[in-house]
Parts: sequence; structure tokens; C-alpha cells
Amino acid sequence: MSDGPLIVQSDKSLLLEVDHELAAECRKAIAPFAELERSPEHIHTYRLTPLGLWNARAAGHDAEQVVDTLLTYSRYPVPHALLVDVAETMSRFGRLRLEKHPTHGLVLTSTDRPVLEEVLRAKKVAGMLGARLDPDTVVVHASERGNLKQALLKIGWPAEDYAGYVDGEAHAIALAQDGWTLRSYQAEAAESFWHGGSGVVVLPCGAGKTIVGAAAMAEAQATTLILVTNTVSARQWKDELIRRTSLTAEEIGEYSGTVKEIRPVTIATYQVVTTKRKGVYPHLELFDARDWGLIVYDEVHLLPAPIFRMTADLQARRRLGLTATLVREDGREGDVFSLIGPKRYDAPWKDIEAQGWIAPADCIEVRVSLPHVSRMVYATAEPEERYRLAACTPEKLGVVRELVAKHAGQPTLVIGQYLEQLDELATALDAPVITGQTPVKERQRLFEGFRSGEIGLLVVSKVANFSIDLPSAEVAIQVSGSFGSRQEEAQRLGRLLRPGEPGPDGERKVAHFYTIVSRDTVDAEFAQNRQRFLAEQGYAYRIIDAEDLGSTPSADQV
Amino acid sequence: MVHAPADHVVATLRRLLDLALAWESPEGLRPLSIVGDCLIGGVEAGVSGLRPRSPHPRPATELLAVIETLTPAARALLDHVIDGGGSAKSGSARVGLRVEDAETPAELLIAHRLLVPAGSLQPGLLVVPGEVGLALRSGRTTVHPVDEPPALATAPRPARLTSSASVGAATDVVRRTGLLLEWWGTRPASALRTTGLGVRELKATAAHLGISEQEAALVIEVASEAGLAATRADADGNPVWVPTDEFDRWRDRPVAEQWTVLARAWLASPRLPSLVGERGPDQKPWNVLTPELSASGMPEAKTMVLELLAGLPDGEGLAAGTGLPSLVARIAWERPRRPRTRPDLVAWAVAEAAVLGLVGADVLAPYARALVAGEDPTPVLAALLPPPVDHVLLQADLTAVAPGPLEPDLARRLEQVADVESHGAATVYRFTAGSVRRALDAGWTVAEIHAFVLAASRTPVPQPLTYLVEDVARSFGRLRVGAAAAFIRSDDEAALVGLLNHQRASTLGLQRIAPTVLISSVPIEVLLPRLREIGAAPVVEGPDGVVRVGAVDGLRARTPRTREAADAARAAARHAAHVTSAVRSVREGDEEARSRPASASAPGGGVLSALREAVERRGAVIIGFTDNQGVVAERTVRPLVVEGGQLLARDEDAADDDPDAERRYAVHRISRVVPVG
Repeated sequence: MSDGPLIVQSDKSLLLEVDHELAAECRKAIAPFAELERSPEHIHTYRLTPLGLWNARAAGHDAEQVVDTLLTYSRYPVPHALLVDVAETMSRFGRLRLEKHPTHGLVLTSTDRPVLEEVLRAKKVAGMLGARLDPDTVVVHASERGNLKQALLKIGWPAEDYAGYVDGEAHAIALAQDGWTLRSYQAEAAESFWHGGSGVVVLPCGAGKTIVGAAAMAEAQATTLILVTNTVSARQWKDELIRRTSLTAEEIGEYSGTVKEIRPVTIATYQVVTTKRKGVYPHLELFDARDWGLIVYDEVHLLPAPIFRMTADLQARRRLGLTATLVREDGREGDVFSLIGPKRYDAPWKDIEAQGWIAPADCIEVRVSLPHVSRMVYATAEPEERYRLAACTPEKLGVVRELVAKHAGQPTLVIGQYLEQLDELATALDAPVITGQTPVKERQRLFEGFRSGEIGLLVVSKVANFSIDLPSAEVAIQVSGSFGSRQEEAQRLGRLLRPGEPGPDGERKVAHFYTIVSRDTVDAEFAQNRQRFLAEQGYAYRIIDAEDLGSTPSADQV
Repeated sequence: MVHAPADHVVATLRRLLDLALAWESPEGLRPLSIVGDCLIGGVEAGVSGLRPRSPHPRPATELLAVIETLTPAARALLDHVIDGGGSAKSGSARVGLRVEDAETPAELLIAHRLLVPAGSLQPGLLVVPGEVGLALRSGRTTVHPVDEPPALATAPRPARLTSSASVGAATDVVRRTGLLLEWWGTRPASALRTTGLGVRELKATAAHLGISEQEAALVIEVASEAGLAATRADADGNPVWVPTDEFDRWRDRPVAEQWTVLARAWLASPRLPSLVGERGPDQKPWNVLTPELSASGMPEAKTMVLELLAGLPDGEGLAAGTGLPSLVARIAWERPRRPRTRPDLVAWAVAEAAVLGLVGADVLAPYARALVAGEDPTPVLAALLPPPVDHVLLQADLTAVAPGPLEPDLARRLEQVADVESHGAATVYRFTAGSVRRALDAGWTVAEIHAFVLAASRTPVPQPLTYLVEDVARSFGRLRVGAAAAFIRSDDEAALVGLLNHQRASTLGLQRIAPTVLISSVPIEVLLPRLREIGAAPVVEGPDGVVRVGAVDGLRARTPRTREAADAARAAARHAAHVTSAVRSVREGDEEARSRPASASAPGGGVLSALREAVERRGAVIIGFTDNQGVVAERTVRPLVVEGGQLLARDEDAADDDPDAERRYAVHRISRVVPVG
């Protein structure tokens, strides 16, 4: 019996003891094939999933290596069934290959004839395949490359794509590293993406995913289509690209609800691409407008379903997905794998935090007790009304005010879900508010003011969840959220993690993340779900009662 | 003649003599007649093609010369027949041809007298005469030498893999057995009428244990064989499977001892859990724990498999693919008279041994070697098991991880406070509001929970956990539930206190649960008159909260529903119809009685002649007969044919509905025949 840091459970989870001397080495060894599921203080949990194992195969690892790694680092006997299962699962990948045939175009070939026979008889792939050239080769309709890959993954025989990519229209792009350099993990991420051809890079919020995108563009040297979540984020991508690369403002186009420019580098929003009029997508032309050499998907975990369908037709182009988490609330991780590509790079938040690239955070949940009257109203409310009632209780106002006072002088964001509540808070705190209704120009002005320090307090709705760069924010106060969404929690925390400049005494900022919840209501239940996610990411959090905040209750608190 | 060295044959014969299975008769050595009967040919006997010789055997040289002249197809057929036991069905092949007329390979063989009819007892069966088989095997009874046991196909296995696989499986099976029985203890599995376990229960069990149904079936069977589970009647009197009290003793023993109990039970068990899910001869799937699901040969198959594996050198296991067939062949050699199911039994034994951890990666585990040798495997296994740990690691996401097998006592206490999230060598527990509440229900105090968590953890207790426990404790018991038969409510608190302390109210079981509410343990019918006796003036409150004033209603029954006029008319019509049909039946009876001749029944053999006569004159008769239910009945029929002891006749009584109603009657059941008209 060895004394390794790893415990292999029969339910296919791997427990890694963090304080073990071999932990770092073991982490490196298992990272290629196991998905990091939770990373609290002492024991990190990884999981062996078919997708993870296939990711490893795609990256060139074989089953023997995986089994050997497990046996080497495992502290206890490894269940034999699990090893057999690993080998069996991994051997499924790559038995089918998509290749380019000199005369017949795209073909599906197999090294294992029975598998091909099984696949040919599957209902899901019927219609995607053409004539059979020889016992091991079948023609694939060129337009079905993506759909076929998706369908094959579903029936458990994922195909390896060797069909290659088109180069796209060449366009010179270079990184302008003046006064800054690519961080080591960013360079690694861009490189492993490029060698893999297509795929997803997973980096925590604030770790500079835009730069990874820019580095990938510099590798591609081709026209690029960038798909982002919203207009503000599109502007930020544009500014960042102008700052970090040789591209000029004239070379970058914006394709959104208001502006429709198509330039060598075009940034489009998901919303405009997925707009549907009379049953058709009028903006599909965008994908054919140029011979794109690279397509970048920002926040790939939010990719809406229509984009998946469109992506299925774009399999000949290089695709880069950027995200902080592959967790999708809709469970379509498999589609990301088959259509965008396997995960090419991943780094745990805490590692990057330890390197000083993202700020450490102090997470605190403040529980507010509802007064008797509010509890009665809550108890008799309709179930669908309950969350809003609990989340918007006026008691929270006093707590927010206290917290704002406590952190006076530190740039603070108040984030919420319900507009009425936000308006109320803004009036009470005398702070500007940004919601979906705020014009883009106004939004940018306010964000600019916040960045420069003119504005010390902003009340924002969920528009600020994604891709908005507010490096100066140090305190976030969350008053309500969209139910129990875990990735929203990650995004909101991400707002705080961009490291600011070190202070005069060399001390780095510590972000404060407050969540205010109403005790004994659904609000608290949802909060628990979200916090569990934080704790699993390794952010220890504390729960305190509003009464214990340490200062006297304000006058209007009942 | 036997394919073995001479000294081996002599030694074997001597042994047979010693065992009195053969004797020295005047003509030479003869087996006991019963032995020959027991060894009748067939593939199973292992003496392929050892058939009776023909009365005038041709010498081997002549036979070989004939065989030389055969076409390749005929030669292949001959080999095939001999391999298949030396007999074949003649099918469409013609018998008694000359060589020149033979058209098919089979006919050619028959013409050459290489296949001869087996005899009049088995028509259509052809056999290869004994001398032909012997000639082909160059004078031997078998192709392969019989004194050398077939070798096992083996392959080396890395020691790291095998010990890891077997110990892993052994701990898993012990853990799963415990898990299964704990589960049944709280949620008994309902048994079928046959005492088996239904498919749905098996599915649920497999899902609960996180294993396949096949493995779950094995775990269940072994638990039952080890006496850890048995049936009893539940509260409704239905049979259910629950753990036995033996389980409580088993649970407290170290893992190695627990495993030994299970392994011994399995080794001696004739049960066939591997058949579960397959369909039996009646096309019904086999259920777990069905009593019929066993084979007497199973324990022997298990023992032999393990003994053979124990004979392999260290680090050698059965080769993948060829290993199992070679094991079957070897066991067939050692026990030639075992039945047709042997390959299955051996395969199951190997598979089940792997699940139980006796075998890891097809290599016998060291402790299983001790078990086979009849020694106690416990110390050997205990030395291989990881030492139990006495602490857990608490984390901020409200999980506690036991980085190894927990001490049983600690594990049981922890399971009360936290839910198990992941099983295996280590265990992951999660604290939830529900699990903490469960602990409070079980009588833990908040301070006890805090103290226990602090003592069990090697790491500091995270603040959210402390908060969770406090928070659950705060809301614990906020709602109170109790039983009462009636309540007394009044805004006059003084009146209630007075009532509570009233002497004559002591039998009413009054209890004050709020300043304005008393509850009583006697029902309202008793309470009301008593309160009136005491001098109170109560009114009754309905379930809707409305006060019912006034005297209690006098006793009334419900008015029976009157029959409506339409119903009465319909009944009258029905009555009239009954009368008409009764009158008609009476009249028909009268008419038939009048036409019936005086000599009512034809005597003895007269029945048959009377029927034949009726057939000839195409007339109707009344027959008296006993039907299938033994009821004696009478019918008017028009006989059509009498043959084979059966009467085919047209039923005149039913002719109104169906003019062609033809029925068959057994002649011997007909007691009398009376011609009509």
C-alpha cells in the first residue's frame, strides 16, 4: 500500500489531499483526464467523466497512462471495475475518424468495422452519411460535419476530427507587448489551443481571457469573428484589442443591434445573431460575410441554442471558446465538447490567485431576520411571489447602508435582480443605477467614472454580470440574484477579482463579497446553493447575522 | 488401445479393481455391468465415437484404405460425425446403395459401411462402427492423451494490479452488504409469494448500491446465505426481507472478519445469482432469492475453480479470452461425468469470485488461498487492508471527508449527523439542514453535535457548519404536534383554569396547551355530557369553526331510496317474460315425455347400436350423458357419425341459435339413448 495523496472512490470521484507532499505532482498528473469538481480547503474532488476521458484522448493521453497514474498516486486499492471502465471508455474515442478524402471530400473512417456498422444503423445519424466507399469508409455530407459529431457523441462513439481547417482570409495581427507581457498561463492556454486546433480555454474571471483571445488571433493571422454576450462587452473587447494588438479601430467592426459593420475583425453579440424574424435568422449572413479564419466564443457556457446550430455548420473553421466555468445550468456540456471542441486549458482559480493574477476574496453572507409583519406577508404569498418578496425585503436596505458606510472610500458595487429594489436602493444611497434600460452611452460614462474613481458606488442590475471590466471594484454587495444560479455567482464574484494596483505599502487588495439574504425563506435556500459553489471553488465564506454587523442599527431599521 | 502410457493404464486398471468397479472374469477383465450403463456414450462421456463394433469388423488396414478413397467432403463429414459423438441422423440419405450410386457424401459413407444404421430401436439413426473410429485414431479410444490434464492458459499479471483489484473488491462487497442491510433495516424489501425478490426491488437495490443488477443479486444472495437477511412479516402481514439479528453482530466485527463470513457463505452456497434476469424454462425471468435458483454442482464448481487457481504459480492469472475455456476443459477432465451446465457454472464461479474479491484480475488473492486451504483468511486479509482512520477533514462546503475506512463506531455516529455522499475507500459526508435535524430527532443536543464534530475533525470546524447547526437547532421543534380527542376553547381564561382544577374533571384528561385552549383525551360524545354535569354550558364547534347551537339531533335513519315508476314497469315486464318462458319449458317437457317410448334406456352395449341406428335413419334421439363436470344432463341431438368412441351429433336444443351446432360426445359417457318421434 502506497501513501499517495489520491483516493479513488468507486463512484468515480477522486479525492486529492491538498496538504500531501505529492499533491502538486498528482494534480498535474490527473488534470488532463479528470474534471475538477470541488476545491475546498483540504480535499479537492475530481471526477472521471466520459467527456473528461475523451478530452484526455484528444490531447494524446492513453488509457494505460491514466490507469498507471491512478495506481501510482492512489493510497488505497483502486476498484478494478473502475479501471476496466476507464479503459473501455477511452477506447471508444478515436475508433471513428472524420478525414478528408482526396476525391470524395469529407469521410468517416473506422479502424473497427463493427463500430462503424453499429453507427451506420443508428437512427440518430441516418441521413448524415452518404455512400459507403469501402468497408471502413463512408462519405459524410459536408454540411453535416458538426451535426454528425454531435450525434456520434450522443450515441457514445465520439469521432476524432482530422479533417483540418480552412486557413481563412489572411490578416496580419500581432500582439503589441509594450509595457506588458503575456502571462505564462495565458501563453500556455493560447498555445495549447492552437496545437489542438479548436477547443475551450477555461480561466477564472479576471484572469485575462481577452488576452488569450488576442494571442490566439495573433497565431491565426486571419480574419476573426468574435461572439460576445452584450454590447458593453463588445466595446470592451474592441478597446482591449486596440490596446493589446497591432489592430487599429478601423480594422475592428461591431455588429450589434445599433451598428452593423463587417471588418477583418468583427465583434458580434449573441443577441443580434440569434434574433429571429418571421422564422428566419436575418443575421446569419454574418457567418458567410467573410472567409473567417477564427471564431472566438466569449463566455461559452452561456452559448444559446441557436448558436450551437449555427456552429454546427462552421466545423471547418478554428473555434476558440472562452469561459470561467464549463458548468452549464442546462447540462449541454456535451454540445460544447462536440461542436466547439474539447477543453484545451484549465487552471484552478486558487492557483492563479496564488500567483497574484487575481485578487483574493473574502465572502460573507449576511442573514437578515424578517420582522413579524413581513414574515406574515411572506407566509401567505403565492409560491411564485415568494422569492421576490424575500429578496426585496426592505430590511436589506439598512444592511446595505451599513456595509457601504463600513467600506466608505472603497469602490463598491451593489448588485441586484429586481429593478424596483435597485431604484429604491439607488435613491436611498444616492448612487447612480445601471440597468438594462440605461442607454449604452450612459452606461459607459458611468463605468468610466467608476473606473477612474469619480464614482465610488454603483447600483447595477444583471447587465453587469458579464464581461464588464471594473478592475477597481473592491466591494460587492449582492442583494438578490436569479434564483440559485451558480454561474451567476461566479460571474459576480469575478467582477471583484481583477487585481488592482498594489497599494503604497505593497499590500494587495482583498475583495469583499457580501450576499444579503432573508433568513428562513427561499432566498436563503437559493443562497445556499450558490454558496456551495463558492465553497467548492475554495472560497471560505462566513455567515453572520445582520445584528452582529458590528455597528448600531440605522434609524429606519425596524 | 487407451491413449496413455502402458504403466498408467495398468495402474488405473488396478485402481478400478481395488474399487471393485471391474472384475476378473474368465474371459478377461470386465467392468461391472452397471458401470457400462453409467458410461453410455455421447459428447459428455469424453470418449467420442466409442461405439459398438459391427459384427464382422474389417481390419484397420482395410478400413484405412477405404477411407483413403473418400471424397474430401465425405471425409470431412466422417470426422465431423466422430467429433460429434459418432452418431448422426440419416435424414434424406438413402440406405442400402452401392458405392457407384451414392450421390451425397452421407450416402457415400453409408455405401462404404462407414456409417451403419443403429438398429431397429432407433430408426433413422446412423452410427460409426467402433472399429472405424479406432482406426481413424490409430487404434486409440481418444484423440488426446487421457493421462495428462489439459494445461491452463495463463498470463503473468503485475502484482500491484492484482492485489489492488482483489482487496478493493473485497472491501467493496463488505461495504455494500452493510449498506444493503442497513437500508433494508429502515426500508424492508417486500418479498414475492415465492419468497423471492421482485424485479423492481432488485432495480431499486442496484440503484441504491450503485452497482449493476447482476452484482446486486450476488450481494443479496450472499447476505441471505450468510444468514444476515431473512424474511418476516411486516405490519400488514406481508412478507418482507429484513436484516437478521446476526447482522448486528456481524456489523460490529472488523472488515476482514466480515469478509470471511461472506466468503465462506458464498463458497458453500449452491445458489445461482448469475441466472437472475435470464428467463427460466417457463419463459419467466428468474428472481433473486427464489428457492429454485440453485444447483447442487455449484459449490463443487467454486471449490474446483479456486483450487485450480491456487495451483498456479504466483503472479500468474488466467489468460484473457483463452483462460476460461482452458479452465472449463481442465475441470471437465477432472470430473468427466458432470452435466451439460458445467461451462456456465465455472464461468459464473469465476465472475462471482472476482466480485467477492477472492480473485483479482484473474489471480487468486493470498487470503483466498488460505480460505481454499481450509485456513482462516482473516489475518491475511487484515494485513492487506488499510488501517482504519479515526478522524475526518471538515471543509467549508459543509462536507466531511474520511480519508480512509472509518472506525465503525465513529462512522455510525457520523452517519446520524451527516449524509453520505460518496462511498469507496474513503467516505464523503455532507452536513445538511436535514441531516442535522435527524440528529436532533435522534436525541442529540446542540452541544453534543458541536463536541462530536470538534472531536472527530482534525481540521478546525468551519464557521458555516457551526452556523448551520445553530440555525437548525433554532427552528427545531418550533411546531409541536400531539394527539387529542377534543378541544375546549374559551376567551375566559379563568373559566378554563377553573375547569382544569375541577375535581370531577380529573377523568377527562384535560391539558392546557394555551391560555385559551384546553385539550381532552376523551371524545366529544363523552366530554359534552360530563361538562354539562359539572355545570358548564358548552356548545359544539363544527369542523368549519361554526357553532352548532340547539339540542343534539334525535336519532334518524336515512330514508331508503324509493324505486322509480319506470323501474317498476321494467320489473313487471321482466316478470311476465319469466312466466312465459317457464310455461314454454313445461309444455316442451310434457310433449317430449309423451313422445318418449316406455323402455327408457337402452341396456349396456345397446347405446352404441342405438346411436348407429339413429345415424342410419337420420333421426333425433335424446341422450343422457355425464359432462366434464360430472353433471348428468340430457340433450336432444341428431347423431351424424359414430367413430373412435366419439359421437358427432347436431345439437337440436341449440339449433334455434345455430343450425349447424355440431358437438362431440364421448360414447362411454352416454348412459342411455331414447329415440324421439
